[in-house]
Amino acid sequence: MELTTALSRDLVLGLSQSLGEPEWLQNQRLAAWETFVKLPYPTTRTEEWKYTDISEVPFESLALERPTGRKGAIPEAVQARIAQADLAGYAVFVGSDLVHVELPEAYRAQGVIFTGLHEVLKERPELVRENLFKTVNWNDLVGPQARRPENSKIPALNAALFTHGVFLYVPKGVEFSKPIGVFKYLEGGHLSASRTLIVGDVNSQAVYIEEYISPTQVAPSVNTSATEIVLKQGAKVRHAHIQLLGQGFYHFHRQRALLERDAALNDLVVNMGASLSRAEVQSEMLGPGSASEMLGLYFTTGTQHVDHYTLQHHVADHAYSDVLYKGAAKDQSRTVYAGLIKVEQGAQKTDAYQTNRNLLLSEDARADSVPQLEIGANDVKCSHGSSTAPVAPEELFYLMSRGLPRHMAQQILVKGHMADVLTRIPIEPLRQYIESIIEEKVRV
Amino acid sequence: MANELEIRNLHARIVDGEAILKGVNLVVPKGQIHAVMGPNGAGKSTLGKVIAGDPGYEVTQGDILVDGESILELGPDERARKGLFLAFQYPVEVPGVSNANFLRLALQAKRGEEVSVQEFYAKLQKALETLEWDESILTRYLNDGFSGGEKKRNEIMHMMVLEPIYAILDETDSGLDIDALKLVAKGVNAMRGPNFGALLITHYQRILNYIVPDAVHVMIDGRIVTSGGPELAMKLEEQGYDWVKELALAN
Ligand SMILES: Nc1ncnc2c1ncn2[C@@H]1O[C@H](COP(=O)(O)OP(=O)(O)OP(=O)(O)O)[C@@H](O)[C@H]1O
Ligand SMILES: [Mg+2]
Repeated sequence: MELTTALSRDLVLGLSQSLGEPEWLQNQRLAAWETFVKLPYPTTRTEEWKYTDISEVPFESLALERPTGRKGAIPEAVQARIAQADLAGYAVFVGSDLVHVELPEAYRAQGVIFTGLHEVLKERPELVRENLFKTVNWNDLVGPQARRPENSKIPALNAALFTHGVFLYVPKGVEFSKPIGVFKYLEGGHLSASRTLIVGDVNSQAVYIEEYISPTQVAPSVNTSATEIVLKQGAKVRHAHIQLLGQGFYHFHRQRALLERDAALNDLVVNMGASLSRAEVQSEMLGPGSASEMLGLYFTTGTQHVDHYTLQHHVADHAYSDVLYKGAAKDQSRTVYAGLIKVEQGAQKTDAYQTNRNLLLSEDARADSVPQLEIGANDVKCSHGSSTAPVAPEELFYLMSRGLPRHMAQQILVKGHMADVLTRIPIEPLRQYIESIIEEKVRV
Repeated sequence: MANELEIRNLHARIVDGEAILKGVNLVVPKGQIHAVMGPNGAGKSTLGKVIAGDPGYEVTQGDILVDGESILELGPDERARKGLFLAFQYPVEVPGVSNANFLRLALQAKRGEEVSVQEFYAKLQKALETLEWDESILTRYLNDGFSGGEKKRNEIMHMMVLEPIYAILDETDSGLDIDALKLVAKGVNAMRGPNFGALLITHYQRILNYIVPDAVHVMIDGRIVTSGGPELAMKLEEQGYDWVKELALAN
């Protein structure tokens, strides 16, 4: 790796000043920077990174992608998505610039806030201060991860250097069922860092879809994203993170949700793009009656590498969580899944499930799966399971014997493999879109 | 041009494994239906799969010709497009794709062009009517959770919609109740005509009461050892295979 040239404490300070941030935030960034400098990068000797080698990722040699003040122009690829997605409102970022944001008056009148993080910082700084870094920061490790602080290295980098973000606040009792969409179009060649903060107040309900899009082939690029989800009592959020970045991208996503009493999260991670990507999704069941559904879909081709980590952390009793991650790998690509169900001592009557299934479409493809349980309570229902298997030759033969060429037969088998996740996506346009991505990926 | 499906001295083995077919000779002229009978393990299903192009087997000798043209070099999908169809002894369950959507994809792949929804549904309707079957079978995932009998009937529906020139039906009659058996026979008979030939693999003379074959062949240990008319099936039903096995040994 090249030596550090692009990043420094001065860069952190200068960035914060140029964004007109208050002092508390500047100090937080500097604290994150100190942590970043101090910590080593995770290596394949780090338990959580055993199968994913990031020694070649140019974290520190790329220029930070800073806001340039662009407005208005929405890339064609994003326009197409907006046309298809049937959204309540949406925001479009090109690089670090929020070029467009739209939310119907009806939502605003009810007190819904949806715009760039820095825009909210100007008008409602207390809302941001109260919630930012509350769930994802440089010191948030839980479970066995906590014994290996290098797991905080990339989140610390993100906290010190994030250049833009999204804020969604849904007030008490406000409910909407049409999704809000956030499209992040990245041209590549930079280090990009962004944050998302979603706050669902008491008994609110919202749907949020975030998509990462780029040209199909880019110069080496690093993208880090951090998503914080705060769900107050009875709040419900359906959240999706869709990653379709081009070849050349290294993508690192960390997400953590805090669920108070009776709160519910329905989460979906779709990891289809980038040369190498890692998504870490964690749910903290802090209140009784909280429920977290965590779905994952991934499909890799060529030499792609995707890595997933899930944490179901049961702190309160009578809570529910269910992880279902399904993936397929073609060519020489590799997939990794590791997940932990951690049930704390007092968390009786926990209901927690975790399943990971992988389908291999070629002899050179590989999938590693590491499900784990750590149970500290005695009256719980927990199960976990994982499997990895090649496409069954008799299934392929059956479909082909009806006239379907191999790629179409494979397409059907991949979709069939993922069917139980797909059928759990109630947002019809989103499901269709994901299916079309799968079809496209099998074809090439 | 020969108007027939010809199996010429066919030898095949499991890939890198033992030989199963040891010189099969068989001709099914277009317009005829031939039955193949034989004890368990004789190689009947293997014959069907090798004709359809199962990559789990390799042909070591001999040839398979469709209307005079060798198909040995073709993949299973290309063979289907040449007009071959195999109704599986054990149809595979495929969740995630509906029965109808799959069938439409297959028909389009076979024709190499878009098939309009209207045309497709007209064909489906006709098949369902013949098979006296409910539309609800169309929206279910392909074979997923189908009963044994439903799977068999579904194979016949696929055949009726895809309209192959030569069909191989591998024990489509096994596990059917008497009413379902009659319906399956009705489906096959509806296909019967100068442009359709079929190879009916079966253990039971019963189905041949409804689908009267032009010829009956008996397969033992990877070879056809004797052939005859419908009366041969009757004889097997009464006497079993011992006499044919002796015949095979004598040869
Ligand atoms: N893929 C395979 N792997 C191992 N053995 C096989 C395979 N295919 C066929 N065989 C063996 O070859 C022989 C013939 O099998 P096949 O299924 O063709 O018989 P069959 O005549 O259809 O029998 P049945 O009447 O029981 O359906 C059997 O001994 C079977 O076990
Ligand atoms: Mg058989």
